[in-house]
Amino acid sequence: MTRRSRGALAELALSVAVLALGIGVAIAAAGLPGSRSYAAIGAGFMPGVVGVGLMLLGIWLLAEYFTGGWRAAEPDDPAERGEHAFHRRAFAWVSGGLFAQMALIHTAGFAVAAAVLFACIARGFGSARPVRDGAIGLVLGLAVFFFFVRFLNVNLPAGWLKPVLGAAGT
Amino acid sequence: METLAALAQGFGIALTPVNLLWGFVGVTLGTFVGVLPGVGPALTVAMLLPLTAKLDPTGALIMFAGIYYGAMYGGSTATILLNTPGESASIATALEGNQMAKRGRAGPALATSAIGSFVAGSIATVLLTLLAPIVVEIALKFGPAEYFALMIFAFVTVAAVLGASTVRGLTALFVGLLLGLVGIDEQSGQMRYSFGIPELLDGIDVVVLAVGLFAVGETLYVAAYSSRQRDEMEKMSGSTWMSRQDWRRSWPAWLRATAIGFPFGTIPAGGTEIPTFLSYAAEKKLSRHPEEFGQGAIEGVAGPEAANNAASTGVLVPLLTLGIPTSATAAILLAAFQSYGIQPGPLLFVTQKDLVWALIASLYVGNVLLLVLNLPLIGIWVKVLAIPKPLLYGGILVFATLGAYSLHQSVVDLATLYVFGLLGFVMRRWGFPVAPAVIGLILGPLAESQLRRALSISQGDVSVFFTQPIAAAMLVLAAGMLAVPWLLRRQGRRPAN
Repeated sequence: MTRRSRGALAELALSVAVLALGIGVAIAAAGLPGSRSYAAIGAGFMPGVVGVGLMLLGIWLLAEYFTGGWRAAEPDDPAERGEHAFHRRAFAWVSGGLFAQMALIHTAGFAVAAAVLFACIARGFGSARPVRDGAIGLVLGLAVFFFFVRFLNVNLPAGWLKPVLGAAGT
Repeated sequence: METLAALAQGFGIALTPVNLLWGFVGVTLGTFVGVLPGVGPALTVAMLLPLTAKLDPTGALIMFAGIYYGAMYGGSTATILLNTPGESASIATALEGNQMAKRGRAGPALATSAIGSFVAGSIATVLLTLLAPIVVEIALKFGPAEYFALMIFAFVTVAAVLGASTVRGLTALFVGLLLGLVGIDEQSGQMRYSFGIPELLDGIDVVVLAVGLFAVGETLYVAAYSSRQRDEMEKMSGSTWMSRQDWRRSWPAWLRATAIGFPFGTIPAGGTEIPTFLSYAAEKKLSRHPEEFGQGAIEGVAGPEAANNAASTGVLVPLLTLGIPTSATAAILLAAFQSYGIQPGPLLFVTQKDLVWALIASLYVGNVLLLVLNLPLIGIWVKVLAIPKPLLYGGILVFATLGAYSLHQSVVDLATLYVFGLLGFVMRRWGFPVAPAVIGLILGPLAESQLRRALSISQGDVSVFFTQPIAAAMLVLAAGMLAVPWLLRRQGRRPAN
């Protein structure tokens, strides 16, 4: 038990997660009508197969973990993958941008939400010019908005810009 | 003869000005998006799917044929100039293509890739034209048992044979199968794994899964692990055109690669990755200049690129004739068909003959458009490549979220998209292949309904899968595919003396 790095812990956690997912799916499957209508199988059959399958795969992954680690695994050291260490702030900005868009899209509208998303992603990738990024995002969002609403007849929320955008959106 | 008549009629439809325009738009958009680094063909097709929402089915499918080819060509441009293969099928190209670009031979590398793609794509389309009616003839005799066995075979090859690890491939497949179960069961009306969320009752859309895994997952991954690195782009310098020697060395490679790529695409052993590596190995072995390999040998670009295109066309054979997708891109194409209420398969060649043949004709047209469009426009694609990463990924996510949101105008789809993004991040980081999950999602429900039909015809007798020769053979083959790599590995572990 010498190779207990953080990476090995992740392998253990993922193996257990697959096993647990399989157990959960199988338990839920048992609650579904199995079948027994005379010829065919019912709604519970495939969920049962998938649940048991995931359990077996979880056990298989665990077995690999306990016998020297996952086979042909991705290297744990980012340098070996030609990458840098996990950049927490970048990950957080990307996630934050997506959450902001979810929160804004129905109130502020598609274009504004797209601008915020765009600026957050750009920030996550190291851009230091939030105003420029937001402006580019807004132009992109408006272009998409008009194209979809006018040409494709797909409704997108206009939100705060409704007075400006007029009857184009909803 | 019958085939030729049908194809001629198909050309009649594909060559109408409107459909030609859609083909042109598809090739251009496909190349434009495909060129963006980190955007592979599967994501390109998924992101552009909403654009066709209001087209008639024929126009939409013709546009998709264009997007499909354009995306692949665009991907090779990015690979050659940036050395960041957008998908595994481009890794072989990256080996030599980037070396050529480093030595000021980016032009000939891009040219041999474009012309090779055209040659291989056109020959493969001819083969598709000849082969499809034969497969349809056979497939029309298939019952549910045969279909089910065929799908199991496709599952095994896609998940277990391709990729570095059998167990991780199968895990990805089963996650896809699980996601395919979510929603109302079509046959019994039973709700499954929808947790009382109304948006989940319709099931999980393939576009949301694909865009989540490929776009959001990829963006999270790149942000976390390589956003602070600089990609060096090779300059386009020197002649764009191929010298006589380049031609002489390229064309045998194109033809050999077509012969390798097409069959691989056709059998449901799917994927375009293996044929590109096989072609690379073959060229390396046969070359009169083996010392150039690793330093920019043109055969090493010509072969894999042609193999990739031939295999991608071959993938359309099982997709159109059997309704079985064997690559992530094909799975999304299948979803595009389904969104028009079209279920690919042998019956499609009977009931929607015009549409199928118009689509096949548009593949020929798409190949030509690609060639005339791309050689002159290489300069523009190079500029697209130079978009800085912060803006590039910002744009990718605006379009990715747009695709998911416009399905139901629902925030739930955006939340689902993020969850799949996290899943994609974890899968990428710990080496789970993504394609089996996408294929499992779309093929799982089809396999389940074939299984149920087979069993209800046989009145619950499981032996149908073993007494019917074709079904039995498929299942034995599938079991063999699972066992062989394992046996080989055991063999390999024995000390060699």
